[in-house]
Formats: sequence, structure tokens, C-alpha cells
Amino acid sequence: MNRISLIIVLLFICIFCNAQKYYTRSGLTEFKASQIAFEPVEAINENTTVIFNINSGEVVAHVFIASFEFKNALMQEHFNENYMQSNLYPKGIFNGKINNFSKEKLNTISEFDLSGILTIREKEKNIKTKVKLKEVNNKIIVTSKFIIKPDYFDIEIPYVVREKIANQIQITLNYKLDEKK
Amino acid sequence: MKKNKIIISFLFSVLIGIGVHTIYSYIYSAPAKASNIVPVFKGDANEFKYILTQDLKYWNDKVVQIKGKITYVDEYGILLNKNIFCQFDQNIDIPSNFLNNHIVIKGRVVGFDELLMEIKLNQCIIIQ
Repeated sequence: MNRISLIIVLLFICIFCNAQKYYTRSGLTEFKASQIAFEPVEAINENTTVIFNINSGEVVAHVFIASFEFKNALMQEHFNENYMQSNLYPKGIFNGKINNFSKEKLNTISEFDLSGILTIREKEKNIKTKVKLKEVNNKIIVTSKFIIKPDYFDIEIPYVVREKIANQIQITLNYKLDEKK
Repeated sequence: MKKNKIIISFLFSVLIGIGVHTIYSYIYSAPAKASNIVPVFKGDANEFKYILTQDLKYWNDKVVQIKGKITYVDEYGILLNKNIFCQFDQNIDIPSNFLNNHIVIKGRVVGFDELLMEIKLNQCIIIQ
């Protein structure tokens, strides 16, 4: 009888845990590495998968590198083949945590600390930034901006185009998370 | 003699113009959309899932046309046969009564999503 009770309790815990995750398949991740006076170097990715556990604050995001879309085909080709080698390293992965997260604060836009490890081309970099969250119609809206540098991930920019690509790359996140049922 | 020079100069200018236009088009052209690319695979969603798992890297960035059952709908796309997510190129309002209907979709393979255990396509358009 005790064993059955334990199984029922565990089952309820599992259901409860599942209900506490929010996710998206179609998160918007954007980067800008433009230099003034040169053609804009920027792209958007609308296929980012994000899972956010609101109990623990843990966040996992997978960004498919080849789905960054540029306005310019040649730039997109260079990005994938020469700089990111997206065939060898198809994903950028973020594993982190939103510290001191509380769902009760989401009635208005609330700012939290986000920290974690960003892995690109199998190179890891600690990221610490601020993230803004708000709950709208049972969805959690996540926005953030932070800076990374190509040399964090051993991305070498050829001398010929070095002046056209900013050394500091601005990453912008905009994710609309649904409850995972 | 003078006439020949004029003709040669004109042809030379035309050639330079064509060259500049070709180079400009090559450098500044927009990336091709999946809708304008001939699919390398046409067939059933389950069959596609099976062959993709044999060689995932080969299929990345390839355009495919698959037929499957709609098992989930959201504001960005649809899920076919419970494990192929097709994200539309533009916002298309798919009514929820489309659930369980069969559909033919053309799109570009983004990759395998290990977080949700799904194959992901983007730039999708409805063929039928």
C-alpha cells in the first residue's frame, strides 16, 4: 500500500514538474556586427528552441546556426562556411539560470540576472547579463541584450574584412514562451 | 576606321556593364527561399524521418517536400506526425480544425532539435 502511495505521489510530482516548464520552438535570436559606413552585418534566427523551468530558473536554448538569415546571400554563405562552419558545428547552445526568479513578479516587466555557459564551435564562454521577463496571456516574454566577441569562440575574421565587422557583436533575444503541457 | 572604333568602344562598354551587373547581382543578391528551390526529397513524413536519422548532416539546409498528418498547430507552424515541426515563412493562420488532416509541406531542413526530439523545417509553404 505504501509503495502504491509513493508511486502516486511521484506521479503527481512529475505532472507538477512538467507543468512548470515554458518553451518555444520559434524564438527570435538576432545578432549585429555592423560597422558604421559599411554594409550592415546582421542576421535573424527565428527557429531558436528554448526551455525554461520556472521552479529552478534553469534555461536551455539551442540556436541552429544555419538558420540565421541575412539580407545578402554571399554574406550568409561566408558566415556559415568560413566563420561558423555550421556544417561541423550546427548549434549554439546556452545552458544557464535566471537567478532569484519568481513568477509573481511577472505582472509587470521585471529584470533578473541571467548567467550561464554559451557554447559555440565547441568553445565555452561564461555569460552574465540582465534579462527582462513579463507574463502576457499565459505566455512569458523574455528579452535580453548582451555582447560577445568572435575570439571567445576562436572565430577568425580575415584581415581583408576585419574593418567591416565589429569586434563586439550584439546579441538580442526575444522569446515568447508557452507553458509546456 | 572611326566607325569601327565607335562600335568597339560601344561593345566594350556593354561588356563592362554586363560584368558590373553580374558581379553586383552576385554580391548583393538575397538568399534563395525554399519555395524557389527544387526539393531533393518528396515523400512521406515517416519515411523522411527514417532517412534523416541515417545521415543528419547531409540533410541540413536541404529543401524537402513531405506529406504528413497535422498533430499540433501554433502561431508559427505545425507539427507533422508528432515529430516534424514546420515553421512557416510567413504568418499563416492555421485553424485548429486542421488537426488530424493530411497536408503536403515544402520547407528547408534546419536540423534535429534534441530538446524537443523533433526535426525542424523552416521557410515552409503549403503545397496541398
